[in-house]
Amino acid sequence: MADADNDAAPTVQEPLDLVRLSLDEIVFVKLRGDRELKGRLHAYDSHCNLVLGDVEETIYTYDEDEEEEQQDVRIMKKQSEMLFVRGDSVVLISPQPSS
Amino acid sequence: MSFFGFDTSLPKDRGHNPKAPGFSLAPDPFAGLSSRTGGGEKEVLDFEDTYDGLGDQLDETGDAFNDDTFGEEPVGKDFDFSGQTSKISGTMQEEQAFFDARQPPPKMSPQKLAAKPVRSGYEGYKQADYIPSLEVNASLWGMPSKAKSPDLSASHRQQSSGPSVQIGRKMMSLEEVEAAMRSQSQKPAAVQQSAAQHLPPPSQPISQAFPQGLSLPGYPTFSAPSPQVDTTQQRASGGPQMLQRPTKASDQQVLPHNGAQGVQAQTPQILQRPSQSQAQPPTLTPGPQASSNRASPQSIQILQNPNRVPGPAAVQPPQVAEGVGGMAPTGPTHGRGLSGQVPIVTRPEQLLGLSEDERAAFLLEDARRAKRNHKIYLLSKDNGLMTPQDKNFITRIQLQQLVTATGNVIDEHGPEAALNEDFYYQVHAQIRGPPRQNPHQPLSQFAQTYLFQTGGRPGNANRRHPRGGENHVQRMEQQVQRAVEAAKLKPKNKQLVIEGSLGKISFSNAKTPKPLLNIKRPESRDLRSQSGTHVPTRSNDSVATRRQTLKDIERLYMTLMAMEDHERRMPPPPNEETPADLIQEHIEWRQKMQELNQSLWNDLKVMEPIDPNSPIGHPFMAILSLPKGKKVIPRVFRHIDDQQRITILTMICLYLDQLDVVRLAAPADPNDTTATLPPPAVRDSVELFSQAVMPSLFGYVNDAPLQIVVGLLGLLLDRVNTALILRTKVGLAILTMLVSRAELIKQATSAQSTQGINEREWQQWNALYNQLFDKAEPVLPYIFPPSTNHPSDADDVHVWQFLAAMAVGANEDQQRRLVVAVKDCVNDTVEQSKALPPEIAGRRLGNVNLFMRAIGLDVDLLQR
Amino acid sequence: MENGAADAKDPSGFLSEILGAPVTVKLNSGVVYKGELQSVDGYMNIALEDTKEYVDGKLRRNYGDAFVRGNNGNIPISSSL
Repeated sequence: MADADNDAAPTVQEPLDLVRLSLDEIVFVKLRGDRELKGRLHAYDSHCNLVLGDVEETIYTYDEDEEEEQQDVRIMKKQSEMLFVRGDSVVLISPQPSS
Repeated sequence: MSFFGFDTSLPKDRGHNPKAPGFSLAPDPFAGLSSRTGGGEKEVLDFEDTYDGLGDQLDETGDAFNDDTFGEEPVGKDFDFSGQTSKISGTMQEEQAFFDARQPPPKMSPQKLAAKPVRSGYEGYKQADYIPSLEVNASLWGMPSKAKSPDLSASHRQQSSGPSVQIGRKMMSLEEVEAAMRSQSQKPAAVQQSAAQHLPPPSQPISQAFPQGLSLPGYPTFSAPSPQVDTTQQRASGGPQMLQRPTKASDQQVLPHNGAQGVQAQTPQILQRPSQSQAQPPTLTPGPQASSNRASPQSIQILQNPNRVPGPAAVQPPQVAEGVGGMAPTGPTHGRGLSGQVPIVTRPEQLLGLSEDERAAFLLEDARRAKRNHKIYLLSKDNGLMTPQDKNFITRIQLQQLVTATGNVIDEHGPEAALNEDFYYQVHAQIRGPPRQNPHQPLSQFAQTYLFQTGGRPGNANRRHPRGGENHVQRMEQQVQRAVEAAKLKPKNKQLVIEGSLGKISFSNAKTPKPLLNIKRPESRDLRSQSGTHVPTRSNDSVATRRQTLKDIERLYMTLMAMEDHERRMPPPPNEETPADLIQEHIEWRQKMQELNQSLWNDLKVMEPIDPNSPIGHPFMAILSLPKGKKVIPRVFRHIDDQQRITILTMICLYLDQLDVVRLAAPADPNDTTATLPPPAVRDSVELFSQAVMPSLFGYVNDAPLQIVVGLLGLLLDRVNTALILRTKVGLAILTMLVSRAELIKQATSAQSTQGINEREWQQWNALYNQLFDKAEPVLPYIFPPSTNHPSDADDVHVWQFLAAMAVGANEDQQRRLVVAVKDCVNDTVEQSKALPPEIAGRRLGNVNLFMRAIGLDVDLLQR
Repeated sequence: MENGAADAKDPSGFLSEILGAPVTVKLNSGVVYKGELQSVDGYMNIALEDTKEYVDGKLRRNYGDAFVRGNNGNIPISSSL
């Protein structure tokens, strides 16, 4: 496989290539506002607008107690068949090893 | 020269009557002046100077309505100027004399003296809704002309006897004259005068505007009086405006007629409109004109369109309400709708000579004209709302926007590229034809279309003023050109980079957001060598190989898409008549296709040696192990030849137990006979493989000769753990595919009774079949998926298919062994089916029957 | 880094220099990612490898690969070279 690296074909030359490699794969997406998504990446663009399929959305809500140490974290999960994510809310995208 | 049948000897021979401007109304506003100053000279007017081309305009634009105007009868040549007209010449003279008699001498009017510098005869145009009147009240028409005449003169007298200084009639412009002549081209003009002087009822003072640009001048519309003009004036300006023809058509001089000749009595107009003259905007004071009796076409234009430059005015669409700018903020008020009753100038005298039929026809014609007038009136409602400058200004703004809209985003692709993504532009371009080919064409279809529309209506251009409105068009075109040129000179780079800085000036759009950093993109090779020391020791090998596989797949897709794209650009296939360059094009295309095919083949990594250390084995199998790698196969198969397909098939058979859908679906321990269901993810994988990859393989095998089938089965039996793959859905499917293909070939060849040809191959096949049978027999009870325990969702059709395929090729002994091996399964299924809903039971039994019928049985036999 | 002095004045040169090196990326939200820098682009998107996510100093997650979106206006990088 050494010769493959010499080709000018897609390697992770720029960060978005990493996203490209995850096309049609399961990705983990961290969003602003303590939200996380896990789903199959169908499409993306340079703004990180994403289209995800079979998504599980996880929303963390922090109920601040008086004592700061004791934070109640409530976790809410939502399933979506298809989701469009506007790029400006994306913080991180990570390919997930399937299954 | 009595072309019009006038008595030519009279007015001219007796000298110019300064009070009677007569024909040349345009210059004649100053007739009185000239007489007062003792000028009295005949002013020589060049017809070419005074002729403003209105006639041409009419020729070009008005033809469509000629029938409306003149009726559809062919115009005869029997113009009777001397006949009919001469009969009434006495009346005419009487009228004229009478009129003159009641007119106060012009010079005695102080108002007139005060007003003379600006008195031009066009004062009326500065009124918002001024419309020179060319006709009398329509109601006159319906009445016997005999009876009408006295009325006319009576009313005329009535009005004239009032404060006659204030009462006057509008001087007519040359256009008006022309128009009148035109409208009356079949009739002696001399008969028009008295009727024309008739005023509408005093309670309805009207001012009339002459619709210059329209094709039917002389049929003006009525309009409400401008509020700021007092009624008397209104009446005055609304006075009849019918023009007189010159007594001598060939005489281009201004020929004010002697009142005694009785032809015309236009002179008083000058006197009677002093206040209007004064009201004229100072900027419009026609100084030069005032001192000269000559009226150039330009001066006429200026006066008629006080707020306009001559040029645009010439090409402007008709402006009924002239000179609105500044004068009439209230705007035109054409509310009265009088036009419906307006016929052309009354000529009772002429009607005298007509028969009843002719009269009726004439009246009918007039009705048509009235209708036409009304139309004009309706159309002209909004005329003059914008001056030509206004329009040009707006046009320029819009063009500017167009230019900036397209020009600003000009990048290396040029302005058209920016439009390429504009759907509406594309449609427009399709409709309008191809985009411009060279820079000398107008900017674009946008500009072209727009300019075309603002350039004046087709045919409306005034020949006498070629530099008029078209000038603006040209100027704008030039502006556009300049803007485009300037835009082209803009930096081609999308960004301006200051060396060594983080920041830069960049041009961004929605497709390519503005970068914040300028990262030097190192060549991948440089990166490798440079960062070689940094290349992380991958803690997770599976991650690394997985990523490598992902990269391989991406590369594969890239090539595939390039190929599909290239395919769409296939030139038409050449034939004998194809020109050489097209053939060349085709050859190049095929060459390129060949190259792409080669790189696609390389990207598939089918032929790559297996890396013994790789956890996923063969790279091609690795590609197939990912969903998108499976999905790519059908698309790839379209672009590769049979040799490449058989190679792929061979590789799959060779490494079948490495294939994820086999490897992961097979039981971990081959000796473990308990049927286990693979995890859901693997089942999804298997499903995808069955749907994406298998049809392509089937498609090939279905056409493959026995030799290949033999070879593939041999490979499988030789290299792969058959017992293992028999317990996977994909493995079973591939075996079924091969066995059934062999049986089909056998049947086909036996039908053709050509068995002898490949006897050796058949022997090979039979040997292989026996080998397979022997290997399969022990595991046959276990090849059923465990879901048979959940009968309703049993996914065992592929098993029955395999058993059926095996049974067809089996000899009697083998068939018996088959039945023994799967007897329990058959019985189980049949038993289960009895407890199932009929629909599912039927399906399951149908699956079993696939096998049962292959051995000449039927489940029905078992059920009894 | 023999020409490190020259490169130090050139941020983009510096960034290309540290490709492959272990880096720390800190977001405005306070989350810190530590991993090997695979690539950076002009939008300050960052691809990290073998990434660890720290929230409030505590390790929260591991990622094999991570794409951190730039243009959040929030990404100082420190190389732990």
